[in-house]
Amino acid sequence: MLKLIKKGGMQKIFAFTALVLIYLFFAFTGKNFTSTATSLNILAASYYVGFLALGATFVIITGGIDLSLGALMMASALIGGELYRDAGFPLWLCMVIMVLFATFVGLLNGLMVTKLKLPPFIATLGTMMVCLGFGSIVTGTSSKYFPTILEQDGWFIRTFFKSASGIPLGAFYLLAFFIVTFIILNKTKIGRYIFAIGNNEEAVRLSGIKVNVWKTLAYVISGLSVGIGSIFYAATYIVVIPNTGNGIELQAIAAVVIGGTSLAGGIGSLTGTMIGVFIMSILKNGLISMNLPAPYQTFFTGLVVIGAVLLDVYRNKRANKAKLK
Amino acid sequence: MKIKKHSKWMSLLLIVTLVSLLFAGCAKTEEAEDQYISVIAKGFQHQFWQVVKLGSEQAAIDLGVEIYFTGPEGESAISTQVDMLNAELAKNPIAICLAALSTESVLSQLQEADDKSIPVIGFDSGVPNAPAGQIAANASTDNANAAGLGAEKMYEALETKIATATVASPITITVLSQDATSASITGRTSGFTNKMYDLIVAAGLTAAVTGDYEAVNKGDASASAVNIAVVVGATPDITDMTNAANGVLNTNNLLGVFLSNEGAVNGLLAALNAGSVLPDGVQVVGFDAGAGQKAAVASGLFLGSITQDPFQIGYKAVELAYKASKGEAVSDIDTGAKWYDASNMEEPDIAQLLYD
Repeated sequence: MLKLIKKGGMQKIFAFTALVLIYLFFAFTGKNFTSTATSLNILAASYYVGFLALGATFVIITGGIDLSLGALMMASALIGGELYRDAGFPLWLCMVIMVLFATFVGLLNGLMVTKLKLPPFIATLGTMMVCLGFGSIVTGTSSKYFPTILEQDGWFIRTFFKSASGIPLGAFYLLAFFIVTFIILNKTKIGRYIFAIGNNEEAVRLSGIKVNVWKTLAYVISGLSVGIGSIFYAATYIVVIPNTGNGIELQAIAAVVIGGTSLAGGIGSLTGTMIGVFIMSILKNGLISMNLPAPYQTFFTGLVVIGAVLLDVYRNKRANKAKLK
Repeated sequence: MKIKKHSKWMSLLLIVTLVSLLFAGCAKTEEAEDQYISVIAKGFQHQFWQVVKLGSEQAAIDLGVEIYFTGPEGESAISTQVDMLNAELAKNPIAICLAALSTESVLSQLQEADDKSIPVIGFDSGVPNAPAGQIAANASTDNANAAGLGAEKMYEALETKIATATVASPITITVLSQDATSASITGRTSGFTNKMYDLIVAAGLTAAVTGDYEAVNKGDASASAVNIAVVVGATPDITDMTNAANGVLNTNNLLGVFLSNEGAVNGLLAALNAGSVLPDGVQVVGFDAGAGQKAAVASGLFLGSITQDPFQIGYKAVELAYKASKGEAVSDIDTGAKWYDASNMEEPDIAQLLYD
């Protein structure tokens, strides 16, 4: 426990406490909040944001940011829908292409940041707009439909969203992806270098490590996560509308920050990110369970994000003070 | 010491968030009952939905039932609406009123409602093409009836002129529509032409329906005193609708024009702005509202227009849901339409139905 706190795990503990408290709060005030159905909804509403947030954690630990997450997820889903409905591709191939496309855009983001030296904020802001436009161009600005449960490819929903008996299968994929990314970040060279770059890029460069390669890899991982996330988005919501999706990245980034990853880089944890994802998801469902009108949901989600960023700022101040000492 | 300070900040933040939540919650929980009807609209900010909300709240008061009215931030926010529907299903309402943004995205939720025996009532555009049996009933505008009201009003204004028409000196009444595929537009097109045809035949004259929407065509125009001609734009784009409107204005012996939605209205107004002339004595009837149309009605350029009744859409939806939850048999309800012209469009109960 003490070791955890020393490692800057305070935020993680706080996030977890907040998760429990918020859950308890809604359990007392919400309608049927503790029911199985609501618990399943909390899981189901976190699939796609979860994938996005896990990937974004890598980028944010390097001290970067990826604003293209939401728009890229939609562009990827639109391409998949276009290929499935209009080009008649088999669904599995569409899914592969969706993941490849998003990974490729992630690579482009990485190259823009490392090779062209663009600030990540600007580079990914540009990619975000490119993706919004690209999705509309590819589809001729028409909505794309993934198979419904009534269609031949209904297995799509039954595999990636919920089984026919209501088991939230998507949660298992998210858990599996969490374990894989956790190992990459904490047990491999990739993770060590990514943390090191976030802490002190210059020092890493001077020690002869190819910073650009590892940094680009963080963006590629982010793109890959978005591609996988787009499959789960499509399975959950079926309909994908062009020129939407910007805004979702903020949910993902908020989840990352709530989970204790510092926007300044160098500090972060995927466990925290998962906690952040569930806090967002509990808020989303909890506020509805209290019969609050829609605007309240946006309002309170905003408060939580401000709170999380405040903590980040405060933590950095503290860290800087410690460094000076 | 540091950790203490740290946790003070955190607790403060947490307390602020939770207390504000509690306040917001209290405002609602006082009136909350265990049994309630969930009303999920397509949006919130549009005036149309505000009036639907007023209607559903009135029904809740009249029936002594709780409702929870919600909706996504806009008509493209499908994922938000699906999340809302999921959350509502988990709360076990006694019934759900739904105006789905997309039928495809709520199919598994409809199945779930069916499994849990929660009746679902469609309102406004409802849940088109939902699987049979999963929507108990719909509260929506009967477009054919609404357009029929327009035909009656136009006939009233033109009655003396129509009575003088003969095969040798015929007159033409046109309908301008933006497509021949969507259910609402075709419903209005056929509703108007059928009603007008019936009125003319009942007056002892011969009539024919001709033009671009073949499903309603009947009779022989060359052997009739009145020709009801349907014109459909090449596409719903404003330029194509303007071209179509120019064609309508150049029709020989034109006496009346029915515009079946705001797109058709805007096409005609654009044609007039560009220099085309509305021949003397031609009566124009529009549908829906919008700034341009309201100005045309207020100035007397149009005889008047038809508007849907969102208040009744909200009211009847809750009423149907309440009945369905009690196990009563329910069937689709026409929420009606209202006629407005320069004389009554300022009256509060009409004015609230007319969006800009």
